[in-house]
Amino acid sequence: MFDPKLKEALGRVQKPGRYTGGEPGSVYKDKEKMDVRFAFCFPDTYEVGMSFLGEKILYELLNSHENWWCERAFMPWLDMKAEMERLHLPLYTMESKDPLTAFDAVGFTLQYELSYTNILAMLDLAGIPFYSKDRDESWPLIVAGGPCACNAEPIADFFDVVQLGEGENQLPGICAEIEKAKKEGGVSKKELLQRIAKIPGIYIPAFYDVEYYEDGRVKSITPNEPGIPARITKAIIKDLNEFAPPTNFVVPMVGAIQDRASIEVLRGCVRGCRFCQAGFLYRPMRQRDASLLNKAAQDLCANTGYEELSLSSLSTSDHGQLEELLDDLNEWAPKEHVSLSLPSLRVDNFSQSLIEKTTKVRKSGLTFAAEAGTQRLRDVINKNVTWDEIEKTCTIAFNAGYTSVKLYFMMGLPTETMEDIEGIAETAQKVVDLYYSLPKRGKGKGVQVTISCACFVPKPHTPFEFVPMDTEEMLRAKQKHLLESVHSRKIKVNYHDSTTSFLEGVFAKGDRRLAPVIVEAYKRGCYFDGWEECFQYDTWLQTFADMGIDPAFYCQRPIGLDEVTPWSHMDYGVTHEYLVREYNKALAAQTTQPCNRACHGCGANHLLGGPCFDYSKNLV
Amino acid sequence: MITVRISFEKKNEASYISLLDLQRVMQRVLKRSGLPVWHTLGFNPHIYMTFACPLSLGQESECECVDVKTEAENPDFAQWKDALNAIMPAGIVITHVGPVQMKADLIAYACYRITYPAAAAAVLDQYNALESATVEKHGKKGNKIIELKDHIPQVEYTVDGDSLHIELCMPAAQELNLNPSLLTGFLEDQFGLPAASANILRKKFLTADKQLFA
Repeated sequence: MFDPKLKEALGRVQKPGRYTGGEPGSVYKDKEKMDVRFAFCFPDTYEVGMSFLGEKILYELLNSHENWWCERAFMPWLDMKAEMERLHLPLYTMESKDPLTAFDAVGFTLQYELSYTNILAMLDLAGIPFYSKDRDESWPLIVAGGPCACNAEPIADFFDVVQLGEGENQLPGICAEIEKAKKEGGVSKKELLQRIAKIPGIYIPAFYDVEYYEDGRVKSITPNEPGIPARITKAIIKDLNEFAPPTNFVVPMVGAIQDRASIEVLRGCVRGCRFCQAGFLYRPMRQRDASLLNKAAQDLCANTGYEELSLSSLSTSDHGQLEELLDDLNEWAPKEHVSLSLPSLRVDNFSQSLIEKTTKVRKSGLTFAAEAGTQRLRDVINKNVTWDEIEKTCTIAFNAGYTSVKLYFMMGLPTETMEDIEGIAETAQKVVDLYYSLPKRGKGKGVQVTISCACFVPKPHTPFEFVPMDTEEMLRAKQKHLLESVHSRKIKVNYHDSTTSFLEGVFAKGDRRLAPVIVEAYKRGCYFDGWEECFQYDTWLQTFADMGIDPAFYCQRPIGLDEVTPWSHMDYGVTHEYLVREYNKALAAQTTQPCNRACHGCGANHLLGGPCFDYSKNLV
Repeated sequence: MITVRISFEKKNEASYISLLDLQRVMQRVLKRSGLPVWHTLGFNPHIYMTFACPLSLGQESECECVDVKTEAENPDFAQWKDALNAIMPAGIVITHVGPVQMKADLIAYACYRITYPAAAAAVLDQYNALESATVEKHGKKGNKIIELKDHIPQVEYTVDGDSLHIELCMPAAQELNLNPSLLTGFLEDQFGLPAASANILRKKFLTADKQLFA
């Protein structure tokens, strides 16, 4: 039976099944027998968090240790948060229902800059002090990992440990140190952090001092403890085949956004699109063998009962054995009523056979990322996609019976002009015209082309980290121009709110002086910033003003090519020189070929200790 | 092809799964079990399932059931029960699997046990003293005024330590289906007894002639 207070709260909130746990696949252990208890926290709702593959990987991995127990916690939605505060219910995990303070370590995944205030909200609900310096040995160790760890500086002061890179070896390493320290007894927090700092890719923010120039730029970032490296190199799994994808998922009972079986076929990306942070953070590209993937997929579907299987990665069609894998999957999937879906397909290597192999069971919508409206701008961002390829792909898709296409674009890209914005509308119009020019198109059906346009946010560790982000006025003007350039009712335009993108840009390139601003904004009621209905832009602007911090300094100012950035002590394998080279090529609208065709010397091969690809074989 | 009734308890965590979510959970559990359940024909085949008399969110039950079909000859139902229990989410326990005896439309009443803190006794006495207790029932075809006293003239209760139990049966037929939350809601509105402090457990279904539905 549940605690009466929890039961009362559950009786008053929407979708209480988000707060109860007990889903098939969830892991229950005897807490008395545990050496390490880890609370994996996702700083957004259950539906979002349960869609996240990384959590499934680490949940299975940590729980494979008999004496460790990894449990899950999520950010409660507004109604549940209010109930928990009213009833003094501390934030608890889904499995044991114990408060976060009962754990040895509490880990947050940093997926999105606008979830930072939710981290504070979750700590607050659990009664845990925000700042690392305010927590002694009696508090759980607060750790963080995920893509935003690549510049965790705005929130670094909240964490004891930040993990750069891939967590498969790292997180068990941290748990092992905690177990060892607990068994020894009397190990101080500082001593424990010293030991954890030796694990590859571990960043202990308290062990670094940051100095600033008077104009606000970073002067230096230096270690303040002996034996701590000046730069932290991210952790990497050299051979992905050593870690089979998870074959047991916690299967949510209340609909998650991505509620399907999913296997990660490859990690990293060979494409080198210059705007894409993931493409630079996860280098080099590594893939799993088709046979391993097929076995894992079959086990996963059998263990979960899912009827949809997604082959996920940054660019699934770049898998060297994709056709072979699809053939293997199609041996059993239709019989088991399992349909295949391939997100992240590339326009330039989408083929007739690929479409046949993925639509045997069910036909889903088609989405392509063209990213920019003109060839010139696509060359600038190194999205090596041409109109001919878009045309070829859409022809295949329309002939196969598809009638709706979604095209992703960005606005606010470096060197962009209004002509490039018009190009977005023209590209969509050409897709509409193409549809009506095809004799084999779906009978009696119209076509629907959706333009989905995001605001470009320059991100650290990319060649565009140096460029200023467009101002709100510029983005609004471009959005208006795009709407005016669309002349067909077959084309629908969606675009992203520029104010949330602005805040995302500030945090993405921010430094440690933002931590008090985030705390203050949270205290003034900002959380769930990524949710339109909760985002309080005016409160944020007022908080920045009251704290004497200019947010535009962080994202709307060009960064000097020789400037010390807040993230310059974080090494993701790609050299600064390479980013500068790519930036200069971008300004000259010169493209760079995918790195499995030729090595361009980004530096990430040092992470593997040898070449990333066997260039003697033709991989294309 | 025979129709198989899977009877189960739905308690604790599972009491917070809505019918829509439960359908998906059952679909996946049945698929995982590998049991020879019949799939609908058509372009998107799925497991044929029908649930009798859906339970409200937050209420618990000892008498839920879902009917599936199978083309298997002489299925080993004890083995079905074990196979399903091994993979059920927390709070769902399969109590019986067997061929359908009675059709779901024979259900006429559902019997509940409602548990309150013992202090609720004073409120129940007040209810029992009332001449009339009308509530509004929200339904698909609009709202209806229900006289609770027609169905629950007196609330019989027993006090057991800190808690108090009420046993009552309410109509659960196609024409009239009354949820015990109408009573707990009335007690909250009229007397301030929080409905959230009530634990509602469905114990059994009865047919029109008060036979146990199975």
